[in-house]
Amino acid sequence: MISLLLILLSSLFFVGIIIQTKAKIAARKMPSIFQPLSDVIRLFKKGAIYSSTTSIIFRAAPIVYFSSVLIAALFIPFGGNVGLLSFYGDFVFFAYLLAIGKFLMIIAAMDTGSGFEGMGANREALYSMLVEPAFFILAGSIALFTNNVSFQELFSNLHIVSSLSYSISVASIYVLIYIALVENSRMPVDDPKTHLELTMVHEVMVLDNSGFDLALIHIATWLKFAIYGSILANFLIKNTWSIYEQIGVYFVIQIAFAIIVGILESFKARNKMSKNPQWIIMLSAIAVVSFLTALIVAHKIILN
Amino acid sequence: MQIVLIGITSFWAIQAFATSNLIEFPFIYVLGNSISLSIDKLSAFFILVINFTSLTGLIYARGYLKPYLPKKNSTEIAFHYFNFLWLHISMLLVVMIRDALAFLIAWEIMSLVSFFLVIFESEKKETVKIGLKYLIQMHIGVVFLMIAFIIAYVQTGAAFSFDGLSVYFTSYHPFPLFLLFFIGFGIKAGFIPLHSWLPHAHPAAPSHVSGVMSGVMIKMGIYGILRVLSYIHTDLFGSGLFVLIISLVSGIIGVSFAIVQHDVKKLLAYHSIENIGIIGIGIGLGIIGLSQNMPVLAVLGFGGGILHILNHSLFKSLLFYTAGSVYKQTHTRNIEQLGGLIKKMPKTALFFLLGALAISGLPPFNGFISEFLIYSGMFQSLQTADLSVDIILLLSFSGLAIIGGLAIFCFTKVFSIIFLGTGRSDKTKNVTEVEPVMIVPDFLIGFFILLIGMGSFIIVQPLMNVVAIFTDNASILSEMTPVFNKISLSSGIFISIIGIIWILRAWQQKRHQVSVNDTWGCGYTGANPALHQYTATSYADNFAHISSKLVNVKKEYRDFTSDEIFPNERSFETHSSDIIENILVTKPANKILEFLNKIAVFQTGNIQHYLLYALVFMIIIGLLTYFNWI
Amino acid sequence: MNFLFIIIYAITLIYFAYSERVKKFVWLLSVQGFVLFGMVFSSLKEIEIFDFIFILTETILVKSIIVPWFLNRVRKHNGLKRIHEPSIPVFYSVIIVILTLILSFVLSNNILNSQMHTQFFTVAFASVIFGFYFIINHKNIFSHLVGYLIIENGIFMISLAVGNTMPLLVNLAVLLDIVLGILVLGVFLNRVGNTFQSDEINQLTELKD
Repeated sequence: MISLLLILLSSLFFVGIIIQTKAKIAARKMPSIFQPLSDVIRLFKKGAIYSSTTSIIFRAAPIVYFSSVLIAALFIPFGGNVGLLSFYGDFVFFAYLLAIGKFLMIIAAMDTGSGFEGMGANREALYSMLVEPAFFILAGSIALFTNNVSFQELFSNLHIVSSLSYSISVASIYVLIYIALVENSRMPVDDPKTHLELTMVHEVMVLDNSGFDLALIHIATWLKFAIYGSILANFLIKNTWSIYEQIGVYFVIQIAFAIIVGILESFKARNKMSKNPQWIIMLSAIAVVSFLTALIVAHKIILN
Repeated sequence: MQIVLIGITSFWAIQAFATSNLIEFPFIYVLGNSISLSIDKLSAFFILVINFTSLTGLIYARGYLKPYLPKKNSTEIAFHYFNFLWLHISMLLVVMIRDALAFLIAWEIMSLVSFFLVIFESEKKETVKIGLKYLIQMHIGVVFLMIAFIIAYVQTGAAFSFDGLSVYFTSYHPFPLFLLFFIGFGIKAGFIPLHSWLPHAHPAAPSHVSGVMSGVMIKMGIYGILRVLSYIHTDLFGSGLFVLIISLVSGIIGVSFAIVQHDVKKLLAYHSIENIGIIGIGIGLGIIGLSQNMPVLAVLGFGGGILHILNHSLFKSLLFYTAGSVYKQTHTRNIEQLGGLIKKMPKTALFFLLGALAISGLPPFNGFISEFLIYSGMFQSLQTADLSVDIILLLSFSGLAIIGGLAIFCFTKVFSIIFLGTGRSDKTKNVTEVEPVMIVPDFLIGFFILLIGMGSFIIVQPLMNVVAIFTDNASILSEMTPVFNKISLSSGIFISIIGIIWILRAWQQKRHQVSVNDTWGCGYTGANPALHQYTATSYADNFAHISSKLVNVKKEYRDFTSDEIFPNERSFETHSSDIIENILVTKPANKILEFLNKIAVFQTGNIQHYLLYALVFMIIIGLLTYFNWI
Repeated sequence: MNFLFIIIYAITLIYFAYSERVKKFVWLLSVQGFVLFGMVFSSLKEIEIFDFIFILTETILVKSIIVPWFLNRVRKHNGLKRIHEPSIPVFYSVIIVILTLILSFVLSNNILNSQMHTQFFTVAFASVIFGFYFIINHKNIFSHLVGYLIIENGIFMISLAVGNTMPLLVNLAVLLDIVLGILVLGVFLNRVGNTFQSDEINQLTELKD
């Protein structure tokens, strides 16, 4: 329960911090941290325009997408607290649940019959396909490391440390941050602030959404960020700390993650579109290295 | 007639599930030997799958064959139904007969009648050619099976039946014989590289036949492999690894080929290969689990694989039926000419979407449950496995994840190109929804897809019974019940949240203005909206780019030249060819043809020449005998 | 602690497969030099001043500073293209390097010899195999130099692995060979660049007569 509350709370300011960081680095005047929030509230007060080409799919997609992300948040544990719906192997469900939301968003983009949205849709489909193995390999290496197959147990047993397990954590956090960026269509893969439809991925998919639907899509993006942030936080928070310390550290990590995203977006150039697949597959490669390291930790590979 | 058959056999099957022992009774007498039908849990499972899909296929055929009624005479239609009935009977016999000879005969009947079913539209030359190709490949498969049975028989002298195999496998190394069986059954199942009949036969056949063929007939190959496996108890590791690797390759390559297809039924056929791959991954992991003494991996691997047989029969037949409905209404299988059909055929579209979501393995549908079983088997075994198995597991779960992602890629493409956007040609103009009788099977199948997806706990008990044939620890599956309960709960919450938000939005939009307008076109409104849509080719292009070596897409177009200020009309075409089929089948066949053509020089048609050949031949024989060379 | 450097080394190999820019290759070589220093330093039991200086020269000075600096000079002198297209797409190269790493880790697990530090074999094999692959994959003679250096780093680690029995002398010899090779090839490349303005291997093969 507590993890859900924390995710909801941190999702409110997450994107705000990113835009603040970016403004600061570009030496612009910073918008309020709640600027995205008030944007969304205004969207909720608006009507909607639907394209005449679209069908029921287009209307269903934002809702399914939002619900899938919301349910996915229920699996995330916090410190010693179990996620609301945690079960054995729940991260498989987590990954596939996010996939169904994405499936619907992709076909909704195709539903508008616009060439631009087709571009976004097929890029999104390709990139999320390529990033999937990285997530599973990462989960596999942590499962190997802790002998557990649900989010909750993965993390609660993570902290039996040797010096090697730190390096696994470092590699995992590195991969996870980038998985989060790919899943949220952020910088090295996609630039949310780009001006040209031809170079967009996620933004171009939601060109025709408006009003309530667009607000849902925005909130789902925040939630996704907050979910990945909490997964990162779970790597670092120790069960033995008191609950207040845990919450404090949690927010510090979320804010740090948001600032990192902001910094990355300010300083990193977007990949060339055709170079994206190889960049994403590289994440899987690094995940494999952490899997091999986990094998060493688990004394499956015996070296002297 | 068929209904009666379904009734009787289903009753047997349910009885077999209910009772603990094997049901066995004499069937016919051949040459004084009684051949009995025996139904164990595995057969019972397959009988139920066969019966259900044949039933839906039969209902669907009533509607689908209607346009053919005026064209074909009644004998042809009757012959078609007759063959359909015999396909059903022969499949049932295949899973019930243990005697090798009778089994091969039933197997042969199955191939033969399905050949007749495939060439239903025999007025097209192409169809007959494809049918023959299919028949020939099936016979190659039978040869392998026959050799395998004979080897077992000769080496051991035990009964010439499946049961006789157990004697062979206890005394010899099982892998060589298993390999023979695998090739024989694998041709039917369509494992890569034995698959080359599949992507041709399915599009050529009428849709209800492709539904049944893809849904259950290719599973007979899996049945055979499973049946043979159930007699092997030693030295399983090699076989397991072999099955796993072939399956991973089939899965990934199958779905990659599927992505670049334009023909919807060919695409679905390649997807069958992919799903056979997933089934094979489950089974392969199960075998490895058995050989390495890892009960969790064994049970969940076999469980996932076997459940996926059922699941695939459901959603694949659904997809073929709905694709058939589209074909019936638009007369084209080329998805590049379709588009926007969801407004004209809403029910068909939604059922196709259901099938697409299920086949992509997404919750809360049935495909997810079987993939989830395989995944959780893998992840739970990571800790107990040794190094080599861990590496195998690493490769298989990343492979499975890639297959899942590619399936999503493929089905977003095919669904949105066929049903969404604006129509891409005139063929979509006057389309109407199909008649109700063709929707009925969709409802039946859709019900089961949702039932297994949402209420997955109900399948635990039957699945446990089937898995118990292969491993003693099948009760591990019952530990999955709480997990399945949680999955059902989560899916329930998921769907109810969708409902709640839908109501919220309806409430919000009632108070604000909701209008309908054109799609945003970057300010450009001049052209026909269908023209600047994404096509199937462009959707698949970025994937085809990274896998260009494999999928071998050829583009035919003319570049713009510098002096061409006002471009003329031009065309752009892409073709993809199956590289494995090229290497394994087409090229050797062409070589042989070339060789035979050269030999054909001798066939001059001139009688003097033939006499000359005879003379030369006699002289050679004479010389050879003279010098004592023969 | 050793393992940390081994992992970083493995990741540099992945980056080698991923990157296409010539400048990045040189930079990565320099990083590998530092990683190798870390590896040697952390595996030293006691620090003798002579050994320490020797290692410092060999890894940091030669591998991370002199050789990259020299390569950079060659690159600038010849005005090489920024990007060298490999003949196998990068996407597959990344997959191949993953498989190489897995293979090499499993292989070193199977070496059961208490005399050797098998932990170094894990990336050493991968480095050697990948170096060969790198050379085969690139058409450009400059990239071939980089490939040789990757192989050399692998050999360096193998010599670390058998370090108890064989002194660093072997490694010194190898290093000398490589440095000389680099020098000769670099000078050659400079000359060829001056004369022909091309560094593609298939064009150089036409010079054989």
